[in-house]
Amino acid sequence: MLLASFFFVGNVLPADNTVETVVHPSVNTEQLSKNLLRSIFGMRLRTWQDGLPIRVFVLPDDAPLHSLFAKRKLNIFPYQLRAAWDRLIFSGTGQAPITVQSEEEMRLRVSTTPGAIGYLSGTQIDDSVQIVHVDQ
Amino acid sequence: MIASKLSMSTNNYKTSVTAVLGCTALVCALSSPKSHADEHPDSDHLNQLRVHGFLSQGYVKTNKNNFFGKSTGDGSFDFREIGLTASLRPLSKLQLSGQLLHRSAGEGSRGGIRIDFGFLDYNFINTPDTEFGMRLGRMKNPLGFYNDTRDVPFTRPSILLPQSIYFDRTRNLALASDGAQLYGESRADWGNITAQFGTVFPQVDDRDTEVAILHRRRPGDLETKLSYIGRIAYEQVDGRFRLAVSGAQVNAGYDPAIDDELASGSFKFTPLILSAQYNAEKWSITSEYALRMFRWKNFDHPLIDQKLTGESIYVQGIYRFFPNWEAVLRYDLLFTDRKDRDGQKFHMQTNRQLPAHSRFAKDLTFGLRWNATPAIMLSAEYHRINGTAWLSPLDNPDQSITGRNWNLFAFQASYRF
Repeated sequence: MLLASFFFVGNVLPADNTVETVVHPSVNTEQLSKNLLRSIFGMRLRTWQDGLPIRVFVLPDDAPLHSLFAKRKLNIFPYQLRAAWDRLIFSGTGQAPITVQSEEEMRLRVSTTPGAIGYLSGTQIDDSVQIVHVDQ
Repeated sequence: MIASKLSMSTNNYKTSVTAVLGCTALVCALSSPKSHADEHPDSDHLNQLRVHGFLSQGYVKTNKNNFFGKSTGDGSFDFREIGLTASLRPLSKLQLSGQLLHRSAGEGSRGGIRIDFGFLDYNFINTPDTEFGMRLGRMKNPLGFYNDTRDVPFTRPSILLPQSIYFDRTRNLALASDGAQLYGESRADWGNITAQFGTVFPQVDDRDTEVAILHRRRPGDLETKLSYIGRIAYEQVDGRFRLAVSGAQVNAGYDPAIDDELASGSFKFTPLILSAQYNAEKWSITSEYALRMFRWKNFDHPLIDQKLTGESIYVQGIYRFFPNWEAVLRYDLLFTDRKDRDGQKFHMQTNRQLPAHSRFAKDLTFGLRWNATPAIMLSAEYHRINGTAWLSPLDNPDQSITGRNWNLFAFQASYRF
């Protein structure tokens, strides 16, 4: 067991810098286009195709994984996301995503909130959440 | 007199309707039984209540002329912004939003708490490609890139927004208005187009607005009239390029008092703003150009009844030179009357009483901003200014003693949650 986790850590964690989009198992989607993902994280799209409200979870603005996700999966910079969210919040025309403080909390919240979407580094993903592939 | 009372009560009526709507939105949101439902991960019916807020304290020092209080001499701490925003989304198509704002900034904003916005938003259609909806209540005016969130320090590129377009001296007229707004968005691979159009009643019952429109405080009252406002914006899917065109026709009337030297005239303000921005990882460039057309009619007063077009432009660069650090450099130009850019004609018209430099302002700004944490921001900036066109007459009652070349230093600490 110890050996297994040692290998696991040894093989996956270091320098591999992966980030994956994850959703609650109730979200009936295995693939999303990059544009759709941008609409979701830009807080412009409110529901999934079947009408289930989308719940977006993010790490704090200065979290390295947040920056990696924004740049790699959304092709935008974290400051642009922050500016877009602030425009929605402070003009009342939308809502901001829910900020969680750690990847553990992210996994817990995404796995227990129907309609949830978030992101995790490769090593933090388990069966409680579903990976969504993003078309380039 | 009866007419005056009647119009007063219509104004009050509109204000109270908005106030009630705004308060309802805010109270609903705040008193909702499951506030912070987000803290219960097992809840599968989050009520989507969100509460945010901000608080800032500023310091302004000038070598001549007063800005946001008595800023000459030791400087002024009379610049504070406190806001509380709440939104509730009981259904995915319906959102109630409200914001309370306390703002103190010299004689123009003397504190107190006002409803900055309070409205109901119904989202008829929201698919991956299209969005369409309607808003009712008091909404921020969609003008340029910054007006909608102009009182939130974190959303501004600098402590003071470029004054040529985002005048702080007539802010209440431009800030928010009461009415109905339709909005829509089209999302495609080549970019997103967002449009907003509103039929509204602007807020004209401020001292600042009265002085800006009628040169000084008057015994009668300004009345709000049906006005129109709209903005169309284009944004590339990665947000690199952003373009916007916004415009409005703001109408107001004057209800004279007995023995008033002014007749019941009308005022029409038609601004047109073009905005463009490019965003890269380390830097952004923003520019906005505005034409501002004013017309005063039937006041039976030669100095008031006139037509003029003002012009504004700024170019601004932001450089993110270090994580969480930003530098801003901006050149901002304002001409009150584009046919009298040096103000000489105005100076002669007023029998040399009022200075030519009160009709233009050229402001070179350099600022630094440090986002110490995602919640705390410290910023400082220096302005070198030629001209006083955007100075508030309330802070500078005697314009003949204002200085043409002056500088302004500002510091601000801001917190958000």
